[in-house]
Amino acid sequence: MTHPSGDRFGTPIDLDTEAVVIIGSGAGGGTVAYELTRRGIPCVVLEAGPYLRPDDYENDEWAAFQQMAWLDHRTTSGGYRVSKDFPHLPAWIVKAVGGSTTHWSGATPRFREYEFRTRTYYGDVEGANLLDWPITLEELAPYYDLAEKAIGSTHRHGRPPLPANNNYKVLAEGARRVGYLHYATGPYGTNAEPYDGRPASIQDGFNFQGDKNTSKWSTAVREIPRALETGRCDLRARAHAVQVTHDARGRANGVHYLDAEGNLHRQAARVVCVAGNSIETPRLLLMSASALHPDGLANSSGQLGRNYMRHTTGTVYARFDQPVRMYRGETMAGIVADEARLDTSRGFVGGYYLETLSLGPAFLAAFADPGAWGREFTEILDAYSHTAGLWIVGEDLPQESNRVTLNTDATDQWGLPVPNVNFADHPNDVALREHGYQRADLLYEAVGALGIHHTPPYPATHNLGTARMSARPEDGVVNAHGEAHDVPGLFVSDGSVMTTGAAANPTLTIVALAIRQAEHIASRFAAGDL
Amino acid sequence: MTDLKAALVRLLRAAYPHPSFPDGPYERTAQKILDAVADDVWRRLALEQGLASLDLDDDPAAAEKQLREIADAEFFVHVRALTVPVLYDDHEVWDLLGYEGPSFDRGGYLHRGFDDLDWLPDPRIEEYDGPERIVEVAEHDRPATEGSRR
Repeated sequence: MTHPSGDRFGTPIDLDTEAVVIIGSGAGGGTVAYELTRRGIPCVVLEAGPYLRPDDYENDEWAAFQQMAWLDHRTTSGGYRVSKDFPHLPAWIVKAVGGSTTHWSGATPRFREYEFRTRTYYGDVEGANLLDWPITLEELAPYYDLAEKAIGSTHRHGRPPLPANNNYKVLAEGARRVGYLHYATGPYGTNAEPYDGRPASIQDGFNFQGDKNTSKWSTAVREIPRALETGRCDLRARAHAVQVTHDARGRANGVHYLDAEGNLHRQAARVVCVAGNSIETPRLLLMSASALHPDGLANSSGQLGRNYMRHTTGTVYARFDQPVRMYRGETMAGIVADEARLDTSRGFVGGYYLETLSLGPAFLAAFADPGAWGREFTEILDAYSHTAGLWIVGEDLPQESNRVTLNTDATDQWGLPVPNVNFADHPNDVALREHGYQRADLLYEAVGALGIHHTPPYPATHNLGTARMSARPEDGVVNAHGEAHDVPGLFVSDGSVMTTGAAANPTLTIVALAIRQAEHIASRFAAGDL
Repeated sequence: MTDLKAALVRLLRAAYPHPSFPDGPYERTAQKILDAVADDVWRRLALEQGLASLDLDDDPAAAEKQLREIADAEFFVHVRALTVPVLYDDHEVWDLLGYEGPSFDRGGYLHRGFDDLDWLPDPRIEEYDGPERIVEVAEHDRPATEGSRR
């Protein structure tokens, strides 16, 4: 039996051929697939979602959400507000070829030097499981360059900035008036002018729904099609990985997965790269427990699934006496970096960015103050056309008790145990968020805000840390190249590997790490070492 | 319109008061709620009983106050959960709130006002390139052992 042909793309690879098997096709998996296949290494890509094309994307919030969001059953605990308002939706991520790069907004700041060494800089913060990364900014810098060129980040490598849209005009002038200096319309992963075979932005305002115009970088419009063109990629869509297997010596050697009809297949593997985002990745490895790995594959440290981070976020909507029309134009092409720094005189460690954000009325109503009703709530909606919005996105601290586990009391559509996400804010997260709300208030008051509304964190778009990198095997799941400390041939290729989360939006860093990892795998292949 | 639907429209308007909204969006939302509970005996009876026993004040503020007292009533909780995704996804509501909906087929907003805000000055779009460097790590937060190096 083979994978259904309607869900199979590229050049077929036999089930018993030991290929590089990549699970997930987003920022991490899609990048590794392209970087390996272009070097001549055959790859099988297993993507749980369908192969949506830009023509399929919908300029409609709920329709797009139903089309591409990861809606498989999940549970939550820990008391954070998402667990009450959206108990089965801990994360707002994408289940489709391209993964969450399909709906990412596009902000591409780099992590800062100190953010790779938080244990050194922050010290021993009570309740936090801080650890320095096993790599430094200096080591990652050349790969950041490559990632920015792949993505086509504005303001970098000769790419021009995007023009100011309405929401940015409010953000930038407010920033200027409160004395901020480091504001701009990027760096941002959407073309301001044609680049890399894709057109310039038409400012259509739809990012979280997939960009029909393809001006926005995603692995669905760049890495995956190019990997398929090499003739060495076998992309199987609607293929849900169930287990990673290993041989008697403990080397990763295959992946069991289900096709859309529920048939179980086993793809032999020489190397397995897991890139299912930071909830599915630990879930898959936990489901891959064996006699050699009774607590889950690659979990000798006990850290698998732990240190789950979701960034400290919050949204601020301000209303004005004159129109803003924040929904017109690139959603997040406005970034203030002045608070992205370490200064504990503010009352917390870590930093944050302020970035423009806009939702349509449908999602604003759902997320502005979940569960709210009455006139105070409807006033937020009535002011819609006169409203500006920004997102606070900052570092949250890793905590061992914030973790993804298997919930064997609940099953998904395949009968598999669902992931449970347990999360509670660290006091530092609360302090950082409050500071962000206050600074945003000042910023908007400086340009005449009549009223301001604080929105609590959404279901997480940035999910990180559940298979973290560490120098020592006892401190984390994978090494500096993302290879499991205790399972040769098993790599993690997504944001799960982040030792700490930094303040910046994570996609650029995931891509940089994936390019670096693919180079490493290819060199090991060349040396006959994998 | 049935009495049930009329009562539900009245409830929706009291819970989600928008002075500028005509009845249409509330009526369409009410119909979707009634459709959703049509095959669910318990939900339907709970809703019918809840609405039948509710005598809302004509004054919006007074009606909201009445509703606050029954905020946890099961039928009302269920109505709210169904209302938000429907009422604010109504295209007439989008119009009323000043949202233009799908834009790709109309060429986006590139030539239709993505930057038409004119009550603030045009801002800089490039990154700051003046003399002030961002202090990534404050003096007092530098690790002691690195003081000389940094």
